[in-house]
Amino acid sequence: MADGNVVTAPGVPAAVAPPRTGTLQKIARRKSTLAFVMTLPLLVVIGGLVAYPFFYALYLSMLNKRMTRFIGLENYTFLLSRETFQGVIWQSVLFAVGAVIAKALIGFILAHVLHALPAKGQRKWRGMLLVPWVIPPAISTLAWWWLFDPSYSALNWVITAIGVPPVAWLGEPSWARFSVILVNVWYGAPFFMIMYLAALKSVPDQLYEAAAIDGATGWQKLIHVTVPMMKNIIAITVLFSLIVTFANFDIVRILTNGGPQDKTHIFGTYAFQVGIQSGDLPLGSAVSLFMFPILAIFAVFVLRGVTRRSREMAG
Amino acid sequence: MAKGIGRRGVLQAGVAGVAASTLAAPTVLGQSSGGRLALGIWDHWVGAAANEAFRNIVMEWGRQNRVEIVLDFITSVGNKNLITIAAERQARQGHDILSFPTWEIHANKDMLEPMDDVMGRLTQKYGQVNAASEYLAKIGGRWYAVPQTTGSQFKGSAARIDLMKQHAGIDVQAMYPAENRLGPGADQWNWETFLTAADKCNKAGFPFALPAGTFTDATDWIGAMFAGFGAHLVDANGNITIRNNDKLRQALDYSKRLFQHIPNEMFAADDATNNRALISGRSALIFNPPSAWAVAKRDAPDVARNVWHFPSPMGPAGHPVPHLPYFFGMWSFSRNKSAGKALLEHLTQIEQVQKMVDASSGYDIPAFASMFDDITTWRTVDPPTGTVYNYPVRAHHKATPSVAIAPAPAEIAVQIYNQGIQAKMIARLVQNNESMDRVLTWATQEVEGFKRG
Amino acid sequence: MSGASIAGGENAALGLYHKAGSIKRERRWALIGAYIALAVFVVFFMFPPFHMLITSLKSSAEIADLQGNPWIVRSPTLENYRDLLTNGNYVLHFRNSVIVTIAVVAITMVISTLAAFALARMRFWGSAALATGVFLTYLVPETLLFIPLFQIIGGMGLYNNLLAMILIYPTLTVPFCTWIMIGYFASIPKELDEAALIDGANHFQMLWKIFIPVALPGILAATIFAFTVSWAQFLYPMAFLVSSENMVLTVGIVSDLIRGDTFQWGKIMAGALMAAAPPLLVYAFLMDYYIAGLTAGATKG
Repeated sequence: MADGNVVTAPGVPAAVAPPRTGTLQKIARRKSTLAFVMTLPLLVVIGGLVAYPFFYALYLSMLNKRMTRFIGLENYTFLLSRETFQGVIWQSVLFAVGAVIAKALIGFILAHVLHALPAKGQRKWRGMLLVPWVIPPAISTLAWWWLFDPSYSALNWVITAIGVPPVAWLGEPSWARFSVILVNVWYGAPFFMIMYLAALKSVPDQLYEAAAIDGATGWQKLIHVTVPMMKNIIAITVLFSLIVTFANFDIVRILTNGGPQDKTHIFGTYAFQVGIQSGDLPLGSAVSLFMFPILAIFAVFVLRGVTRRSREMAG
Repeated sequence: MAKGIGRRGVLQAGVAGVAASTLAAPTVLGQSSGGRLALGIWDHWVGAAANEAFRNIVMEWGRQNRVEIVLDFITSVGNKNLITIAAERQARQGHDILSFPTWEIHANKDMLEPMDDVMGRLTQKYGQVNAASEYLAKIGGRWYAVPQTTGSQFKGSAARIDLMKQHAGIDVQAMYPAENRLGPGADQWNWETFLTAADKCNKAGFPFALPAGTFTDATDWIGAMFAGFGAHLVDANGNITIRNNDKLRQALDYSKRLFQHIPNEMFAADDATNNRALISGRSALIFNPPSAWAVAKRDAPDVARNVWHFPSPMGPAGHPVPHLPYFFGMWSFSRNKSAGKALLEHLTQIEQVQKMVDASSGYDIPAFASMFDDITTWRTVDPPTGTVYNYPVRAHHKATPSVAIAPAPAEIAVQIYNQGIQAKMIARLVQNNESMDRVLTWATQEVEGFKRG
Repeated sequence: MSGASIAGGENAALGLYHKAGSIKRERRWALIGAYIALAVFVVFFMFPPFHMLITSLKSSAEIADLQGNPWIVRSPTLENYRDLLTNGNYVLHFRNSVIVTIAVVAITMVISTLAAFALARMRFWGSAALATGVFLTYLVPETLLFIPLFQIIGGMGLYNNLLAMILIYPTLTVPFCTWIMIGYFASIPKELDEAALIDGANHFQMLWKIFIPVALPGILAATIFAFTVSWAQFLYPMAFLVSSENMVLTVGIVSDLIRGDTFQWGKIMAGALMAAAPPLLVYAFLMDYYIAGLTAGATKG
């Protein structure tokens, strides 16, 4: 499959080399064919390693447990009828939406605050605020887990030091849900911050000046200048983060493994438990596929909005 | 000093072996006519010493038989071992021989090489393997795996001698002395006694750290406890026996009373939480193999000196002790089956078993009970001397190694086991204060789902 | 570049308006508020890494000891770091991570630059849908893909092989990078390529001589993104690599330093901090480009 890339590579210099007769050049001149050739590696990667396995998994999710029989949508209807899985749907939504809202807000606040700082100090603060995003999350989650440990919790040490009873961070269902969201927010907020900061910097100063002349307050500037200018990047960042958060695996897996009582299971971890641990690959695939339609609809709407807005801006 | 091979002796032999191999290495190079054998073996929880002992045995065998050995240690942390099994099954490549925990032999038997010949010779030499291992690896009268010493473990009590004496009034050392006899109180070591002790230790600030999450430490002890009450969710024929099951109600009632004395966070515990509770000196009792003790020996020697291992309590319907066995399975796509079988047979001989038990400070348990008295390690490991003597289930304990959820059919059992259904039943009862009937209805619904083919 | 424009804006504002005093006061309060908010979040963001650092300097006996303050280290030791660097496979894992990351970043950049150029500038049948659809790749979660990928990778004979990572990671990096660069290329004025075409340049020359130099910040931003993602990937190496000597950092740390219920916390933390160093350096030096690069790409989207 890697050969596909190699074939196009020699094609590149051939096309660059100016006058040479032959069919190759004729084809290269045809813009759309050339464009297609340039997109080919992308198509090969996505087609071969995402689309094909995706359809295979789709087919897998319609087999029975022993993979001997085609059972249509039975795995899906079965899942929907399960109390545990209904819980998983609700928890995934709670986890993803809760975490994304928190990340978006924190990122927004931090980007603004950073943007208001003089350029010299900015870099230092920015660097510190970026640290959570830089440590590989599978490992930083381990560090958090250690902070939550019932016997060794350094967090509980602080809490008891100020006279509050220790918290069973991962033992109590509601605390456990809070904790997994907290860690996700901790890890993901810097990404929002950076994206927003980039967007803020691209807002032309003249707009603010004009707003100031009109006597706009800081809040009004925010609502009428900043937010509209940032709409696209907010939409894209939220979309991207929502998808990634819905598909999260490491954080929940390491912190709670779905417990206590399945109260923190999300699609990814539950699929793993059903598919790999309990040996029901088709059912596990069905669990993973559940998030697809929900997100796909959302994504199409967001992306359409983004395209429309950027066309308006360009036009 | 007991006779037989002491730890030091093995160590010296190991060093000598390594030295010999380094010297011999150049001449052996290029002579591996016996082909290549790749092994993916459970990464030992006791640590490097146990892995090294295993490596030495295998490499030595490889040299003698001119087989090139590739050895990977695969951790069970994060279920990496289960992913590996699934991956190699799908990819049809990887290792020749893998470590399979509990149910995985049943789940993969269609792709495993039968081991009847190897097991036939081994049982002839060493007698029967324990019933739990047979239930997991002998399917339809055929062996699909060889019970593995490395990693196979009991999860009896690992308790603090001082705390149990002081707060619960139980002298665990006298109850289970390091000899082949029961001491005073052993006949009363049942779940009611246990509950009283849990209560007293909890009041004294040293609660028993009994996990009730979805990890194996929780599933295994809860499974043994349920079995001690004769409480089963599914019978051997696959019928659900949850509703109208007095024994199950009894076990759940008991759990509810017991968990009044167990810290709430144990519902989220993983396999290491209980260890840390013991090592940190905050708990008087956990159910665990000697790995917690081994770490304490390094990091908290005062704690280790006071730890004693002995069976879990008995119930009204018997005395099951939690058992988590591992197996060597050989993929049917292996290209070197005869060498693989020869190696597995070699590994199960008592000489090799002795080395592995020794290197793991007694953690590893062979499936052949006949070996228990011949292997001296459990007698000599210290401090305190004899702490692991009663860790393997011995004949005089009158207890049985028990796999949680057995005797349910494996396909259903694996799901009940891995999703920790029994622990969740307790959690619903205790944490959510749900009614017994509601819990039983929920469990019935879950298990019905597992029956799908 | 961006810093200068802020300062410029400030001066202009001060010079232009008579309300300069009140603006100044407003700014000062905003600045104080800003620092308070910053301080709060820096504490929230930094205390886990700080705890990691403290733990990495402790011996395992001190970690196990529950007496005293877990946030300070009594007898600091570099033993954990030394041990990681001299014993075991940590250095090997580090090297593997570097190899995989460099290869993936290179492959990603070639694929996405070509694709983004084609999609942004050269319309063909389905190109608009593709430009949007690329993003939808992320809708297919890794937890779903890795099971079918077992067969694909197995079929290629790449199970337990670093090459498998180099092959799979681009599925995670290419879509976002392509998308950033489509945005960036779209923001380059059309007049530029018309001029180039008139000069007789073909499309590759145009890409190479005009687009890549102009879009360098965007390319850099995409590179950094690809780097971060490949460096931190966990599930795929967890699923596909079994031999310790073939592992990358993320799985290597988890599988070599955790022995069942025995976590070598000191070494885990030391390993994690050293693993965080390369991305930290990259961000420290290239952050301004990153922000500048995201700017154009992201807003034009």
